[in-house]
Amino acid sequence: MLDDTKSNKVLVEVKDLKMHFPIHAGIFKKRVGEVKAVDGISFDIYEGETLGLVGESGCGKSTAGRAILRLYDITEGSVKIDGVEIGDTPQPNLRKMRPTMQMVFQDPQASLNPRMSVAAIIGEPLNEHSDMSKAEKREKVLSLMDQVGLNRDFANRYPHEFSGGQRQRIGIARALALNPKFIVCDEPIAALDVSIQAQVVNLLEDLQEEFGLTYLFISHDLSMVRHIADRVAVMYLGRVVELASRETLFSDPKHPYTQALLSAVPEPDPWLEEKVDRILLEGDVPSPSNPPKGCNFCTRCPQVMEICKTEEPPTVEIAPGHIAACHLYS
Amino acid sequence: MLHYTIRRLLISIPTLLFISLVIFLLLDLAPGDPMASIPLTVPPEVKEKMREALGLGEPVHIRFLNWMYQFFVVEPQVLIDHIFGTGFAEGKQRIISFQSRSPVMAVVAERMPQTLWVVGLSYIFATLIAVPIGIVSAYRQYSWFDQLGTFISMIGFSIPTFFSGVLLIVVFSVILGWFPSIYDTTLEVTDWSSFLQQVKQMAMPVFVLTLYNAAQVSRFMRASMLDNLNQDYVRTARAKGMSERVVVLMHVLRNSMIPVVTVIALGVPNIFGGAIITEQVFQVNGLGQMLITAIYASDAPMVQTLTFIFAVLIVLFNLIADILYGILDPRIRYD
Amino acid sequence: MNIKTALKGTVWGAVAGLALAPAAFAERGADGHVNIIYWQAPSTMNPYLSGGTKELEVGSLVLEPLARYDETGAMVPFLAESVPTVENGGVSADLTTVTWKLKEGLKWSDGSDLTSEDVKFTWEYCTSEGGGCAQSEKYNDVVSVETPDDLTVIVTFGVPKPFPYGPFVGAQAPIIQKAQFANCTGEAMASCTEQNFAPIGTGPFVVDEFKTNDVVSMSANPNYRDPMKPAFATATVKGGGDAAAAGRSVLETGEFDYAWNLQLAPDVLADMEAKGKGHLEVSFGTLVERIMVNFTDPNPALGDERATAAHPHPFLSDINVRKALSMAIDRELLVEIGYGAAGTVTCNVLPAPAIYASTANDGCMTQDIEGAKALLDEAGWVPGADGIREKDGVKLSLLYQTSTNAVRQDFQAIIKQWWNEIGVEVELRNIDSSVFFGGDAGSPDTFQKFYADLEMYANNFDGTDPEAYMANWECKQAPRPETQWQGNNMPRYCSEEYDALVAEMAKTGELNKRAELAKAMNDMLMQDYAIIPLVYRGRVSAASNTLGGVVMNSWDSELWNAADWYREK
Repeated sequence: MLDDTKSNKVLVEVKDLKMHFPIHAGIFKKRVGEVKAVDGISFDIYEGETLGLVGESGCGKSTAGRAILRLYDITEGSVKIDGVEIGDTPQPNLRKMRPTMQMVFQDPQASLNPRMSVAAIIGEPLNEHSDMSKAEKREKVLSLMDQVGLNRDFANRYPHEFSGGQRQRIGIARALALNPKFIVCDEPIAALDVSIQAQVVNLLEDLQEEFGLTYLFISHDLSMVRHIADRVAVMYLGRVVELASRETLFSDPKHPYTQALLSAVPEPDPWLEEKVDRILLEGDVPSPSNPPKGCNFCTRCPQVMEICKTEEPPTVEIAPGHIAACHLYS
Repeated sequence: MLHYTIRRLLISIPTLLFISLVIFLLLDLAPGDPMASIPLTVPPEVKEKMREALGLGEPVHIRFLNWMYQFFVVEPQVLIDHIFGTGFAEGKQRIISFQSRSPVMAVVAERMPQTLWVVGLSYIFATLIAVPIGIVSAYRQYSWFDQLGTFISMIGFSIPTFFSGVLLIVVFSVILGWFPSIYDTTLEVTDWSSFLQQVKQMAMPVFVLTLYNAAQVSRFMRASMLDNLNQDYVRTARAKGMSERVVVLMHVLRNSMIPVVTVIALGVPNIFGGAIITEQVFQVNGLGQMLITAIYASDAPMVQTLTFIFAVLIVLFNLIADILYGILDPRIRYD
Repeated sequence: MNIKTALKGTVWGAVAGLALAPAAFAERGADGHVNIIYWQAPSTMNPYLSGGTKELEVGSLVLEPLARYDETGAMVPFLAESVPTVENGGVSADLTTVTWKLKEGLKWSDGSDLTSEDVKFTWEYCTSEGGGCAQSEKYNDVVSVETPDDLTVIVTFGVPKPFPYGPFVGAQAPIIQKAQFANCTGEAMASCTEQNFAPIGTGPFVVDEFKTNDVVSMSANPNYRDPMKPAFATATVKGGGDAAAAGRSVLETGEFDYAWNLQLAPDVLADMEAKGKGHLEVSFGTLVERIMVNFTDPNPALGDERATAAHPHPFLSDINVRKALSMAIDRELLVEIGYGAAGTVTCNVLPAPAIYASTANDGCMTQDIEGAKALLDEAGWVPGADGIREKDGVKLSLLYQTSTNAVRQDFQAIIKQWWNEIGVEVELRNIDSSVFFGGDAGSPDTFQKFYADLEMYANNFDGTDPEAYMANWECKQAPRPETQWQGNNMPRYCSEEYDALVAEMAKTGELNKRAELAKAMNDMLMQDYAIIPLVYRGRVSAASNTLGGVVMNSWDSELWNAADWYREK
């Protein structure tokens, strides 16, 4: 996977995307605050590339993925996919655009309707978005099953009759059914056995090659992101703290959080493992309903400065294609 | 599924026999005397003779076997005779009520129509109302509709029918005079005016029971919908670009109905149990009222027969609920 | 209506009867439909199968005896030409035979003739072996019933019967049709469901449809002996619900015309009556709410001899204690809180009919706490350290039981307070009425076992003759192991003098003499404080203001004169 295979056309453009969830409490369920799950993120995804989105659990990466696909009504910001602004499109109109953008979910068990057969699950979007005949649809479903490596004979089975890996293949087949351009893979391998993870990731790569797909690959598994992503964005508490090409990010992380995150990646070689200089972060991730003043990371940052506690760091391009939001570089 | 059903039916035979024995022994051990309601002016010797005439002089096991024979052999024969005009049960002793000295099953048949009309209809209404309310309440959680639904359900749940029933009577019968306060079981619907009459007299008891049942079912429906609305597959369906109608009705509702359908099925035997209190308040005199008067009068054969019929229905509807579960949920297979 | 008007009603009743006659002078069935509600629904129409009041009363619309009691307790011939007495030669001088003459031309509702054979059959029916006839006591001592001709019935008793009106008299012993019930004697009695639910009778109504414990639909008897009656073409007796709902349906909504036996709190009834749709009808029979005093020791340590005559009660055998307990009670207040218009204070266990009612004990009408204290002091029962009176180590601490019933529990609580005031410790207990009155010899909680010091309940007697009732307190009537705990003498009262009075009454035929004997027995029980009477209870029913002709009756069925009811225009 070389950089030159990618085009320079921006497929997805995310600007200042905010997704805040209201908190209701009290007898009358009054709105008393909000969870700032995604608090102003911006990035572009180029056609044909894979953008990895990493971060700890609860940092807002899954929410970001769903918000980009407008599975939520976003609070603020703009999302352009294939040149069309969808940030403020009402849901009914959005439906017509769904074929372009699809999602592969984390939990293949839960994300498949247990009462529908595999053929029905894969074929359902075709009912809605195409005018194929019954036989055509059936053929399309079967060919999709072939493409994701599922036995055609299982078309009439129900999701619970499959293994985890197979279920994720169903999820992928379903996502592919409408020939999308952009797929958000939300931790697609987190719920799978390690032995199966590689198979699924390879399948995703093969399909990308075959159909020219663009992925937003959300994961907390840095080694898997390193394997699949072309560029990587790091999120912390609802914000993107660093974004760079894979090589740059892994070899030369700038943001203290990225550094800490990378230092936590296990080293398979026990000899090297001992030499790894780990950066240990103190304390817990602050609540997204009440983020700290200034830099979100200031409560745990090993290199914290006075300014961090009062002012939000601007996002700056410290090298071409390498963006970071940290007072150290501004 | 067929094998499963047959196996379950076979298992239920010893279960039911055991239940019938337990009911019988409980009734036998319970204090109380069918002669207790007879005035003190009737001398004890006469009461003793009456007790003997009721067959209470026989030992327990003989009475139990007699009851078994009557219930499992004679009563079915009577039914067959009734349908085909045969004469199998000729001259055989049926189960006789202590109170009226008439066959228990004849009384059950007599009481069935009003119970089915009032309790059954209210159950159907309750389901028809509660399911949409539950769906909308869950879909628009915390909206004013949901808050109102919650409030009404709370009322339906927490206000006992003997209170709401009497309240309705005071308002609609005593003050407004719209509806009769007493149900006429002899009314036959033959024309428009008698039909109206029937609707009027059913209005209040049906309303009270509907409110009560709907409160339960709607809460159940709402909870089940909420469970499913937050499932990933719903997001999947949305991501597929399915319309909200399809998402809610095809994906969420169909999955949410699985537990609700079984709850509804398990509630069906209660229809036959009648609504003891509501029947009493409105003098509907159905099976519930019959059971309670029989209990007061220590009418053992009637209580025994009724409770056993309920037991059969409960076992049966448990089975039906399980089978429905299997049909509705592909994850469950019994064979 | 108070007790006095109810009891002095002879004249009033006659006048009322005359006054009503013209209004009722209409065609049979001209007044349409009458709706009666019995909140305890009848379970059968055959009074011989059930001793219950509800069955007797509803049955009385269809079945009739030879004679009934009217609202004053006087006997009125119904199917008989007249009431036989010694004076008119109907009762033999030796008091062993009674000759009844039937009215001429009587027909059953199916059109066939009523004959003396039917009367004879009724006796045979109720006394047949294995039937468990609830009214067999009415036919006690009858040795034969002869029918010299179609209209004459001669009843012969094995012993002299000073009051020979048990058989075929009152709502308990109506005449049934031989043709209908011929195959229903003995063990077949119970299986004749069809007959029991729709007996053919001579009364004003005929059963069209009977739904057990639910509703009876009736229509006017086409062969009723008075061609003008009944005024109503159809009648419904609805059952179920409770007394409040029944009262409401007559007094508040006006859906029903007559509601039976409204045992409700006095203020509730007053509120309902104030709605103006109907009125209450009260009448008094012989029902007395009383406390029975246990003369024997109910101490559980006595084992089999518990509550038997072998062990006299440790302190209730002292008449002063019994008397003090009675003196401490304010009966006026009890009536007020428990029964209102449906009750009155009484100091007798035999309060009616008027000729039997004693006035010798009226001192109990006023409460006298101080007097009770003084009496106990005098008798040596002095308060101990805890305020409870004691003597020779015996404490005045007693267990007071009754059946479960709201009014009775109120009574218990308030009486307990009065007794505590005079230094008596009281423990209260209530037992479900089906157990308490159940008479199960195996249960320790029956009123016959009387494993308590005091017990409260109400009792009365059928008809107007107190002979059998007063015989309840003979020595031999005491429940004890030998009688399988059956018997009516709950206090286990035993006095030779009393037994002699009972024996004497059994052979006395002359009414005034009998009255004197009965009064003497009553006074003896009262002055011995074996029974502490509390309230003379009447029965309250409600009638719609549009229903005319209702004459409330406690001596017979309340519906005894339903043939005379009519619609007030």
